[in-house]
Amino acid sequence: MSDDVKVDLELDLKGLLCPLPMVKVSQNITNVPVGGVIRAVATDPGAMADIPAWAQSTGNEVLSAEKEGAEFVFLVKRLK
Amino acid sequence: MEAQQLTTLTGVIDKKMNRQLKQYMDICARCAICKDACHQYVGTGDFTYLPARRAELIRQIYKKYFDKAGRFVPALYEARDPDENLLDELYESTYACTGCRRCMYYCPFSIDTAWILSVAKAILIAAGRGNEMLGQLADAAIFKGDNAAMFEGVMLSGFEDISEEVRAITGNPEHQVHVNKEGADILYVALAGAHSIRPAAVIFEEAGESWTISMFEAANYGYFYGDAEKARLITKRYIDEAKRLGVKEIVVPECGHAYRVAEIFYEAWSGEPMPFKVSHILEKVDEYIKAGRITVDRDKIDGTVTYHDPCQIGRNGGVFDAPRDIVRAVTSRFVELTPNREQQWCCGGGGGIVAMEEFKDVRLKSGGKKVEQLKASGASVLACPCENCRLQIEELNEVHGLGLEVWQVIDLVVAAMPFKATPEADAATM
Ligand code: SF4
Ligand code: SF4
Repeated sequence: MSDDVKVDLELDLKGLLCPLPMVKVSQNITNVPVGGVIRAVATDPGAMADIPAWAQSTGNEVLSAEKEGAEFVFLVKRLK
Repeated sequence: MEAQQLTTLTGVIDKKMNRQLKQYMDICARCAICKDACHQYVGTGDFTYLPARRAELIRQIYKKYFDKAGRFVPALYEARDPDENLLDELYESTYACTGCRRCMYYCPFSIDTAWILSVAKAILIAAGRGNEMLGQLADAAIFKGDNAAMFEGVMLSGFEDISEEVRAITGNPEHQVHVNKEGADILYVALAGAHSIRPAAVIFEEAGESWTISMFEAANYGYFYGDAEKARLITKRYIDEAKRLGVKEIVVPECGHAYRVAEIFYEAWSGEPMPFKVSHILEKVDEYIKAGRITVDRDKIDGTVTYHDPCQIGRNGGVFDAPRDIVRAVTSRFVELTPNREQQWCCGGGGGIVAMEEFKDVRLKSGGKKVEQLKASGASVLACPCENCRLQIEELNEVHGLGLEVWQVIDLVVAAMPFKATPEADAATM
């Protein structure tokens, strides 16, 4: 999935503890245009629930949330 | 300001102002003793952050609409409308406040400025000016509670990974993070991060505790945001879970406000007494050490260790001795910060401020007193049982080059526990 999507902003959230990965995605979402995508890489497993919950409750979209070894990789699309 | 909005805002004040708060409106002597108690005023010298000034903004609206003298001669009594200028000032002084209540401790009338500012937050939210980030964090937590099934898979897989790490640390193949265990004695409501679960699981398992993990986290951004209903819903998620599982006790993690929310605020928000005994995890760990249920080797930790009382656990929660007894059990090189306990300086990281980028500058300046205390202690290791405090102090550590190691207390305990385990176990504890 991640190979097909144009990424507008990369966020390195490795080492940040929850809820900071979600906070950083939220703070940066307006740095991409509507329809734009953030690729965020976190290491705290709590982000696997936090970032999708944030996206749902703010009306944005998580295109994918995948575990890759010790990292959690998210593609988050700004919808509004 | 439109008449309709004015009615809404004054309605909020009318609803929130109980007898105690009204008394606070009247008794401030403007002695300014509180100014030297507030780390933000001391760190910035900015009037916006002077505790009595923060409260004064609410007092001015109150005088204008609810006080006879202020209503008739507003200029004389500094009564003001909640216009855009006042709301701008109110936003800055209210959401910056870490709720540490050090000002209240030193105020000759024990005026609780943080409580007055809970009225300010309600006004700001009603005016559509609540802090956006804190509101989003609260909404995400409520969404998780309403859609628990959606997150069950990722949570369970996360717990399984942590169980493996626990087994690697203790060397005991039976050890695990228990999930949905009906009839367990304890429901441990952790933070969202693995760091809050892994060492607690090691300790519970080694102590032979009957425990189970909550599917929800103890952090409550509804409280920081200032919306009592959101805060209640976030807390209710794990209270309902505790009822369903039939546990006897709820244990909250190394987090400052989580303890106060469960122990003190839930009842006020819900009108229902907290139906469970609530303990801070360090109270349990202290019990286990004193009862010999876990063993710790003294002096496995290198360096001189000091302890920071998070405001919500110490001054506002009354837990002072259990953490110190634990730290003293793992090191003979313990030194106090000065001042400490009730008089401890706020580190500057509470109240949700670490999540609000706009306050970064005042937050870092307000850590000046903590930096002075840490330097004066000569310690190289800091034990600190609150996530927000640790985030702040780690940043101060970097900015001021303090060379400090900042630890959760339960991580110090795990590092001091003798395990049968392997070299990988030692690596996993770090
Ligand atoms: S110390 Fe108390 S009475 Fe004195 S100015 Fe501050 S809030 Fe008012
Ligand atoms: S509660 Fe703490 S941060 Fe808030 S005004 Fe009082 S001393 Fe300052």
